[in-house]
Amino acid sequence: MNGIATPRGGLIDVNVPPELYRPGEGIRDEALRPDGVPVHGWGEFFESYQRHGAAGLVEWREVALRISRDRGLAYRPDRGEGPHWSLDPIPWIFSPEEWKGIENGVAQMLRLSAAILADLYGPQTLLDRGLIPASIILGHRGFLRALHDSPPGERIIGLGLTAFDLARGPGGSTYILNGRFDCPYGLGVALENRTVINRVLPNLFRRCQVRRIGYFFNEWFDYLAERSPRGAENSRIVILDSDNGSESSEIGFLANYCGITRVLPSDLTVRNSSVWLKALSGLMPVDVIWKVTHGRDLDPLEANWRLTAEGVPGMFEAIRRGTVAVASHPGAEVLQSPGLFPFLAKLCRELLGEDLALTPAETWWCGDPASKKHVLANLSGMVIKSVGHHRDFRTRYGQRLSGYELAELRARIEADPERYVGQEELQISTVPTSRDGGLVPRGAVMRSFAFLDAKGDPRVMPGGLGRVSTAEGVIISTRESGESKDIWVRSHSPDAPISIERRLEQSRVISPEVVPSRRGENLYWAGRYGERTDSIARFANRLVIGRTAGFSYGRNLEAKHEKTLVEALFRVFEADLWIAKVTDPDKRLSLILADPNCPAGVGPNVSSFYRACMAAREEWSLTSILAIESARNRWFARTAGEFESPYRYENELQNLALHLAAFHGLNLDSMTRDEAWGLLDAGARMERMSILVSLLAYILEVDEPAPMGTLLNESVLFVSDSLGTYQSKFHSVPTTDYALRLLLGEEDYPRSMHYLLERLENVLQKLKAPARSAPPHERVAPMRADLDAFLARLEDEEEFGAAKRREALAFLHSMRDRLNELHDYLTISYFSHVGYHG
Amino acid sequence: MNMVRYRIRHRTAYSYSGRIDLYHSLAHLRPREDEGQETLAHCIEVLPEPKVRAERKDSFGNITNYFSIEQSHDFLEVIATTTVLRPEVTVRLPDSGVAWDDLVVAPGEKDASGVRLGNYLLPTPAFPSFASVTEFLAPSLIPGRETMDLVNEVMKRIFTEFKYKPGATDTGTPLETVMQQREGVCQDFSHVMIAALRSIGIPVRYVSGYLETLPPPGQAKLQGADASHAWVEAWTPATGWVGFDPTNNLLPGSRHVKICHGRDYFDVQPLKGIFLGTGMQTLLVEVDVERM
Repeated sequence: MNGIATPRGGLIDVNVPPELYRPGEGIRDEALRPDGVPVHGWGEFFESYQRHGAAGLVEWREVALRISRDRGLAYRPDRGEGPHWSLDPIPWIFSPEEWKGIENGVAQMLRLSAAILADLYGPQTLLDRGLIPASIILGHRGFLRALHDSPPGERIIGLGLTAFDLARGPGGSTYILNGRFDCPYGLGVALENRTVINRVLPNLFRRCQVRRIGYFFNEWFDYLAERSPRGAENSRIVILDSDNGSESSEIGFLANYCGITRVLPSDLTVRNSSVWLKALSGLMPVDVIWKVTHGRDLDPLEANWRLTAEGVPGMFEAIRRGTVAVASHPGAEVLQSPGLFPFLAKLCRELLGEDLALTPAETWWCGDPASKKHVLANLSGMVIKSVGHHRDFRTRYGQRLSGYELAELRARIEADPERYVGQEELQISTVPTSRDGGLVPRGAVMRSFAFLDAKGDPRVMPGGLGRVSTAEGVIISTRESGESKDIWVRSHSPDAPISIERRLEQSRVISPEVVPSRRGENLYWAGRYGERTDSIARFANRLVIGRTAGFSYGRNLEAKHEKTLVEALFRVFEADLWIAKVTDPDKRLSLILADPNCPAGVGPNVSSFYRACMAAREEWSLTSILAIESARNRWFARTAGEFESPYRYENELQNLALHLAAFHGLNLDSMTRDEAWGLLDAGARMERMSILVSLLAYILEVDEPAPMGTLLNESVLFVSDSLGTYQSKFHSVPTTDYALRLLLGEEDYPRSMHYLLERLENVLQKLKAPARSAPPHERVAPMRADLDAFLARLEDEEEFGAAKRREALAFLHSMRDRLNELHDYLTISYFSHVGYHG
Repeated sequence: MNMVRYRIRHRTAYSYSGRIDLYHSLAHLRPREDEGQETLAHCIEVLPEPKVRAERKDSFGNITNYFSIEQSHDFLEVIATTTVLRPEVTVRLPDSGVAWDDLVVAPGEKDASGVRLGNYLLPTPAFPSFASVTEFLAPSLIPGRETMDLVNEVMKRIFTEFKYKPGATDTGTPLETVMQQREGVCQDFSHVMIAALRSIGIPVRYVSGYLETLPPPGQAKLQGADASHAWVEAWTPATGWVGFDPTNNLLPGSRHVKICHGRDYFDVQPLKGIFLGTGMQTLLVEVDVERM
C-alpha cells in the first residue's frame, strides 16, 4: 500500500506559487518547504487557499471577527491592560507524526517538573547535591516556605493543568521557552479559538480530520473529581479566578464551557479547616479547587508579606489537613524560574534517566562566573530575566536597549549576578498568517497544555494556543499583544464528536448549579446601579432641558429651580459635600455630567453598573451583554473630554435611558425567575423606592409655594418618569398632595411605592430563608401596612397642610430607615454570611 | 552554668466596635528550644474558645500555633504564658577569623539547625532590594576588617545614627522610608541591619523575643511595661550565629529571651490574624517579663 500516506490530505499534489505565499529566505517555515511544496499536513490548506484566493482570506477574517464579537468574546481591546489577542483565521497545522514528537516532549517536561516540585517541597536532595543552585529556589517569590511540610502526594496535588510555551528552531527542533505552572492562562482563549475557527473553516476542518480538544477537558475533570477528598461521587469542583487578573476574562468562558462554577477568593471561606462556597442558599462544601490565581496570594494568613484582603485565610491549613484538593500545588510557581533552564538536561537524566527531548532556550545563569562572563560579553544580543521573578525587575531585551540602559543593566548584573539569567534570542520558525488580504510568514510560538492523570500518566491537549507577532522580526513576549491562532493536530481517523450529554452530566456532578453570594450581591447592585443611573440620567435630562428649551417660568425662577433640583439630586445620593463649596451653576452641572468620580454623576454610576453586571457575567444573555456594553461604551465615547455645555449631553442621556430600558426589557424577557433574578429585581425596586422617598422628603422640606413649588413638583414627577401619567390622570398642574397620591398610592402603577412594595414582597420569596431567621419577604409586610395607614390618612377629608406635611415627612423618613435595614439584612444574610456558625 | 528563670506573660486583646464572626490566626509565641534556652512551661489561652487549633514547626524550626475562632465575638484575648530558663553568660564579641570581604557563604549550605543559609542571604518580599542601605554602609566597609568587628560596628552606627522613636513607623513602613527619616523602633533597626549585612554577603536573621526591663532605681516595676523586642543574629563559619541588638547597642545576654527567628519580621510576627465581620478594632498588647 505504498503511497497511501496519512493523513489523506498530506498527499494532495499542490505546488504553491511564490506570489501566493513566500516564506523568508533562510528561515524555516512550518507550512511550506523552500521548494514550494507544502509541509506534510498543509496540503489541504494550500489547496483550499488557492481555490478561494485573497477574497477568501478576507472573508475568513471577517467571519472570524464577527463570530468572536457575537460571542461577546474575551478579547477586550477596550480594557487597556494586559495582553489581548485577536484571532488569525489561519490555523497552525501539525501532522500526526510531527505532533507525536511535541507531545512526547511536553509529556516529559511535565514528568520532570513534577519530580522537581516533589523534591523542592520534600527532601530537597536536588539542592543538597547542587543539581539546582539553592539561591535560585530560595530567592524565588513563588517558593512558599509555609508549605515546606506539604509535598505533593496522596492528599496534595502536585502539578495540575500546566502550560508550556514552545517554538520551533531552524533544524526542526522544538524549543521550550517557558512553563506556566501557577496560572496556565490561555486555555479559555484556545477553546474559544477552536469554537470560532471550526465555524469559519468547517469544510477544511473536516477534511483535515482535526483532533478534538473537548476530550482533554473531560479527562481533566475526571481527574479533578478523582482527587476529591470525599471521593469522586461527592466532589464539588470550582474554578478559582482572581479579581484583578488582567488575563482572566477568558476564565469566565472556560467556566461556562465546562459547566463549572467560577469563584473569586472572596466567594470562599474556611470554617473548621474545610473550604466552603458562600452561596445564596447558604454555605456549600468545596472539595476540589482548580485555581488560576497565584499560589502565593492564596492564603494571606501564611504569606510572608503584610496582610492583604485578598485570598482565603486558612486555606493552607485546609490543604495540609487534606480536606480540600487544590490544583496546582500553591508553591508550583517556583518552577517558572528561568534559572532552572541551564540545569534541565542534567536534571532530566538524574530524575528520569532520560535525555531531554525538548531543547530549552539556551540560558546562562549569572551566578556561575563563566556564564556571567558570557552574558556580559554578549549583552546586546541577550534577553535578561530575573531568576526570582521579583517585581523590581522586568525582562529586558538587549537588542532594544540604549547604551546607557545596557551599562545600567551590566551594573545590576555585576552587583547581584545570582539574580539574573541571560537567554539567547532565538531564531524561530514562521507560520502563514493573514495580513492585508495576503498570506505572510510570521514568527510563531505555541502554548501547549497538559496534566498528569491519577495514574501519573501525562495527558497532552491535542492543540493549543498559537501566537504570532504582528510585525516582522519582532520578539514575541507573552506580555505583549499579538494575534492568536488555533492549532490543528491531524489524525489518521476522525474523532467521534464529543458528547455534550456526557459533559453536562459530568458538570451536574462536579458543579451543581449554585449562585455564589458575590454574584448574587453583584446582581443586586446591578439592579441598584441600573436604577440609580437611570434616575440620575433623568435628573440630568431635566436640568439640560431647563437650559435648552426652558420651562417658560422666567429666568430667575428657573435658575432657582435648577439650584434646588441640583441640591435635591446631591442630597438624594448623599453627595452634599461635593457641592458645598461649588456655587457656579455650570460647575455643578459639570459634576453631574462630566465628572469621573462624583457619586451623584452619570459617568461613575454607569461604570459601577457596568462593573456589577460584568462581575455577574454568567447571568446575562449575549444580547443583554450587548445592551450593557453599549450603555457604557456609547456614554463614554460621546461624552469624553472637558465639560463644555449641557447641549451636547441631551442626546446621549436619552440613549443611555434607552439602553438601560433595553437591558431591563431583555431581563424581563429572558431571565429565569430564580433567586438570581429575585436579587436583581429586589435591588432595582429598593433603589427606586429609596430615591423616591428621599426625593419626596427633600421637596417637602424645602416647601416652596407656587409657582416655584409647581415647577418643582413637575420636576419630581419628571424624574420619577410620571409626569405624563399625572397629567393624563389629573388634568391639572401638579400639586404636592396629588403627586404624593400618585407616587405612593397608585395601584397597578409600576412607579408607585404601593406597586413597588408588592413587587418586592413577591420577588423576595425567591430567596431561601436564612438559617434561624425569618424569610426576607416577611420584612416587607409591615412596610406595606405602614404605607396603607399613611395613604388612608393622605386621602382623608383634611386639607394637605402643615400637619399632613409633617406626617408625610415622618412617614418617608421611617420608610427610608426600613429600606436601609432591609438592605443590611440582605447583605448580612445572603452576601457576607457573617451570621453563620456551623 | 547559672540559669535565670523568667516568667513571661504576653497578652494581646482586640476589641471590636462590631461583631466578628470568623477569625483565623497564626501565632509565633512559643519560644524555640535550642541554643541553650529551655522552656519549662508554656501555654496559650485564647478567648473565645477556638474551633480549630494546630501546633507545628515552620521551615525555620519555630513553633507556630494556628487557631480559628468561629463564634460571634466582639472581644478577643490571647495570653501566652511562658516560663523559660535562660543561661546566664557573659557575652563577648567572638572572632570569626575571616575578613568580611573574604567571607564566602554557599547559599545551599545548612546551619546547625539544618536551615539553608541562602534563606538569610537573599532579598525577601519586604525588602526586594538592598540598594537603600548602600550609602549608609559604605564608610564601614574597610577592606580586610574582621567580619564580627564589622557587624558590631554596623550595630553601633545604627544605634547612634538612628533615633529610637515609637510611633514613627508601623509594620508596613518600607525600609527606604526608615533609611530616609533615620528613626524607628527595634524592628526597623533590625531590618536595616539585616539589609546592610546581607548586601555584602553576611548571613543574618531576624530574632523576635523579649527584653527584661529594669525600673528606674527606687521605683517598682509597672505591670505590662515590657514589650516584644527584636534583634538580629549574624553568621560566620567559625562562630555560628551571634546575636546583636542594634536598639540597645549590645550583644544579647541573659536579659534577652528569644522566641523565634526568620528572614524578617513577617516570618515571625508574634500574632497575626484576619477577621470576617464589621467594625473597627482596638488593639492592646501587654508584656511582662518577670525574673523569678
